[in-house]
Amino acid sequence: MSFTRSAAIARTTIRLVIKDPGVTIIMVVMPLIFIAFLKPSLQAQLEQQGYHGASGAQLGVPGLAVFFAFLSIQTVCMLFFREHFWGTWQRVRAAGATGIELVVGKAGPLVLVILAQMAVVFVTSTWLFGYRANGSLLALVLLLAGVALCVVALGVLVVSLFRTLDQAMVLGNMGGMVMAGFGGALAPTSTLPGWAQAFAHVTPTYWGIEGLRSVSLDGAGVADVAPALGVMALFTAACVLVATARFRPTDTKVGAT
Amino acid sequence: MLLIEDLRKSYGAHEVLRGLCLEVSAGQIMGLVGSNGAGKSTAISIACGLMTASGGRVLVGKADLADVDVAADRRRAAGLIGLAPQELGIYPMLSVEQNLITFAELAGLGRRAAHAQVERIVAALDLEPQLRQRADTLSGGQARRLHTGMALMHRPEVLFLDEPTVGADVAARQAILAVVRDIAAQGTAVVYTTHYLTELADLGAHIAILHEGRIALEGSVDEMVDAHAAPSVAIVTSGERPTLPGWVPSLVDGAVLDDGTVLEDGKAGRGGRVRWDAPTSAIKTDRVAALADALGRLGARTKLEGVDVTPASLESAFLDITGHHLSGNHTDPGEAFPTQAASEESSDVVHA
Repeated sequence: MSFTRSAAIARTTIRLVIKDPGVTIIMVVMPLIFIAFLKPSLQAQLEQQGYHGASGAQLGVPGLAVFFAFLSIQTVCMLFFREHFWGTWQRVRAAGATGIELVVGKAGPLVLVILAQMAVVFVTSTWLFGYRANGSLLALVLLLAGVALCVVALGVLVVSLFRTLDQAMVLGNMGGMVMAGFGGALAPTSTLPGWAQAFAHVTPTYWGIEGLRSVSLDGAGVADVAPALGVMALFTAACVLVATARFRPTDTKVGAT
Repeated sequence: MLLIEDLRKSYGAHEVLRGLCLEVSAGQIMGLVGSNGAGKSTAISIACGLMTASGGRVLVGKADLADVDVAADRRRAAGLIGLAPQELGIYPMLSVEQNLITFAELAGLGRRAAHAQVERIVAALDLEPQLRQRADTLSGGQARRLHTGMALMHRPEVLFLDEPTVGADVAARQAILAVVRDIAAQGTAVVYTTHYLTELADLGAHIAILHEGRIALEGSVDEMVDAHAAPSVAIVTSGERPTLPGWVPSLVDGAVLDDGTVLEDGKAGRGGRVRWDAPTSAIKTDRVAALADALGRLGARTKLEGVDVTPASLESAFLDITGHHLSGNHTDPGEAFPTQAASEESSDVVHA
């Protein structure tokens, strides 16, 4: 693998994200809007759970940041598929780029973009909604990085599995929403039905949101969130493994079936 | 240089390439021509390492060497090869400069070298005013020039240009041809595919005709034309099918009546087209005018629509070699007859 070529592809990916920031901005603004009107009811839920004096933001910010991070699977799909529509995928390959260099060059910057997206939601929420993390800042950053890696790995998996953008977007968006919903992004998992609570444990969103909430509300440190980090790392690794087996740089990708 | 040896490619039972052999030396422009589906793009894809061959090999190298096997050492080969594919491949949201820089960076050029090369390329392709313009706001011709320029950023030893002037306006076409001449003069081996065969004559290219999966014939434009093409004269009439008087062929010195029959029937069996193949010297404006005049008096029920003179050309040589008949490409006799200029223009284009 050539670092030079991956770095060149990564720089182009960053240029493309900068030139077309609309989706990224939406993924930052939308959770803030949702937090604004969900905060009172979330505060009431926290009161019921015994978190007296806690702002609803400690519950809403982690959940909605993760929810919209998982909706960014579409950003990952779009960046890969567009290269095919633009005819640049073949050209970059002709310039010597291998499949792994292409994936690293495209996915690497997206991890940073999604991480930055969630970081902006957290930081802005401290000013707008009085969000405070009671636990370790390092644990918070590690969890956010874990979520970002999970999202991008899942996105690359979706890209590797589907030939058309339509299929990839539908599955990516629906999958992201379902996982975020079951994971407790909109309401604590303890309020979900029993079967849904059981299912939640196999989603990376659950572990990400629970980890972030424990840092936000319970003062958790790195050691406390290690299981959550471990599960997300396993999920990411599984996605990478399947994507590696399925991904073919020679595959043709099209817009619609 | 580029060396293609016994290249084979099959899609299931369909054999696209059946032992293609081609050698392009440093500084040579090789016009690779063939009908649609002849396998030109497949051959180029394999030669650039984008597709695996069913058999044979492709070697590239600096100057007169061909020491890098594209399939075995794709990375090294990529540094020697430049490709501008048939389909436009540019980043529409990035500027002209960013598109070019991307491919300079992919080739490992440093910042200073990349910017110096951008300056050279935009000057050569007349894209300086558009340097910071987004690619999606470029005209078709400008986009085509940018597309070509991206293949030149790393000064390749072997350059593949797959129909680089499709959709380009006259100025863009001239700019691209000038750059191709210039890059070949600097020692790059160029493989140039096109359906606009006059471009190959303009470039002074060596021609290789790809037919049925292998090179059917190779040679200079003059060699091809001399050996395989003759000018032709076609008379198109409407109304009643003409009975041609015996003196008509004699109006064109040395003409050989194609077979003395109407080659193409007009609509509903009316009218038709008769073709003569004649040596170049026979086709003189005054003779053609006299022929037209004589045919104008054929009879009240037969109307002369026009006389079509097609000089010997690379197109007619190509059609002769590949077994396509010119008549399959001509306009419907029932339609308005093309002017001589239009006819010559159309004769430069192979419609396969």
